[in-house]
Amino acid sequence: MSALDLPLREQAAEIASGEIDPGELLEECLGRIEERNPELNAVVATFPEQSREMLERAPDGPLRGVPVVIKDEWPLPWRAETVGAAAVPGVTTRPGESGPYRALRDAGAVVAAVGNMHELGSSSTGNTSVYGPAHNPWDLERCPGGSSSGPGASVAGGLVSGAIGADGLGSIRYPAAYCGLTGLKPTFGRSAMEGHHIPNTETIVSGPLCRDAADCRLLASVMFGEALPSEQRSALRIGVIRDPFWSDSAPGVREACESALEALRAEVGGEVIEVEIPDQELILPAAVLVAQSEEAGHLTPRNLNALPEELGLINRSVLKLRGLIPGSLTARAFLARAQARRNLAALFERVDLLAWPTVPAVAPPLADPMIELPSGAASADAGNARQGVIANLTGIPGLNAPVGLDEGLPVGLQLLAAWGRDALLLDAAEALERATSREFVELRPAAVA
Amino acid sequence: MEAGSAFQLYLDSALESFGIEADETERAVMAGVWSIWEPGMNLLRDADLDGERHEPLPDLSAPPAA
Repeated sequence: MSALDLPLREQAAEIASGEIDPGELLEECLGRIEERNPELNAVVATFPEQSREMLERAPDGPLRGVPVVIKDEWPLPWRAETVGAAAVPGVTTRPGESGPYRALRDAGAVVAAVGNMHELGSSSTGNTSVYGPAHNPWDLERCPGGSSSGPGASVAGGLVSGAIGADGLGSIRYPAAYCGLTGLKPTFGRSAMEGHHIPNTETIVSGPLCRDAADCRLLASVMFGEALPSEQRSALRIGVIRDPFWSDSAPGVREACESALEALRAEVGGEVIEVEIPDQELILPAAVLVAQSEEAGHLTPRNLNALPEELGLINRSVLKLRGLIPGSLTARAFLARAQARRNLAALFERVDLLAWPTVPAVAPPLADPMIELPSGAASADAGNARQGVIANLTGIPGLNAPVGLDEGLPVGLQLLAAWGRDALLLDAAEALERATSREFVELRPAAVA
Repeated sequence: MEAGSAFQLYLDSALESFGIEADETERAVMAGVWSIWEPGMNLLRDADLDGERHEPLPDLSAPPAA
């Protein structure tokens, strides 16, 4: 096995012990990108000179010499972010030292490449980007998930063992689910975010996508600037909301998630409790409106009329539509957020975790991202957002754990916890890995096995 | 009046009022997107939130203040 295929933590440990030469590891990583990226389109920029310079200057941190990918959503000192788009309305992006870059640099990591992303972060599919879409390593004709499409495809495709994504309405968890990875959406405000083009965001966080929970723990601790010690958990109370999160998921997805839930429950000696969230149906529209309001200050007629043709038709149209949403609706969205946060706080008095499928169906085709659910045909975005946005609206952490395959494509179970309990999610994911003998985190796409 | 045509009336007049340019293709996409959003937006519009308190300056990294 190549050192590049080792988990992030083993790469770091073997570099520290002298068993791996980090210079050779970086060159191997760059070589693999050159070899595999033409098919995957997972990364949109490499910069060997700057990567080698990062390695030369790497401090003796927890990731010294380990190559990683960072999403095209933050600036680097030598490259402005493009957010996967020909233009970002009302914003001029510039090179600079973003928070995630600094956290990686100070940990000794080497940024080997910038990961592709869905144009302007506006979809859970990853099927549109100014660079062309990233491809799912499990099936190159399928969506890799979005908006952190490149980070997901980079790790699943074996280009690196860890990547930094961003999650504004589920954008780490969806690609983690579609690509068979563990992905953590941290508690709001806990991970490095400086330099993001939406500095006023109340929904977006940076977070890791890796093959398993232990690697996510390491990369998250770097992004948090604090240790996330693991703990053996027992007697966890796991809340499930059946309708619509379980009942309206594809049968194969539901079965894999049910099996994983039972395995987790048995492993921790816990219990599964049926629960509800009052006014749950307001969460999705409220989250969409709150997230959209963060950029609304730039949606002026002047900026909207100047959107270039190179920006995708859907984003051009949706940006203009967003400029017409009545302010009263957005105000009600913030009221619904307050309600949802109070309801969740009360719920987390009764349960430690909430669990349901991260996405209700496996990765759809890039050319037509529709999914078939018990309730009928739906766009993947509509189905995915329904499952994921609660974490962004309210600020709680969420995690995707790979739990099997349906039609040969990965299935993910989402775990959610109360504010600040990110480590609990990682502990639970590790318990799930133990319970399933790491079967699902060891699965690899045939193309890279 | 059909919901779709009511939205089309709003869309056309709002674009004109705000001075936002959109061609027919963009307008069709907007109508399609709105048809997906509309049920949720209507729920939010009609929900009884009168008894809810705003959360001023919320700390989203923590549960709401009691």
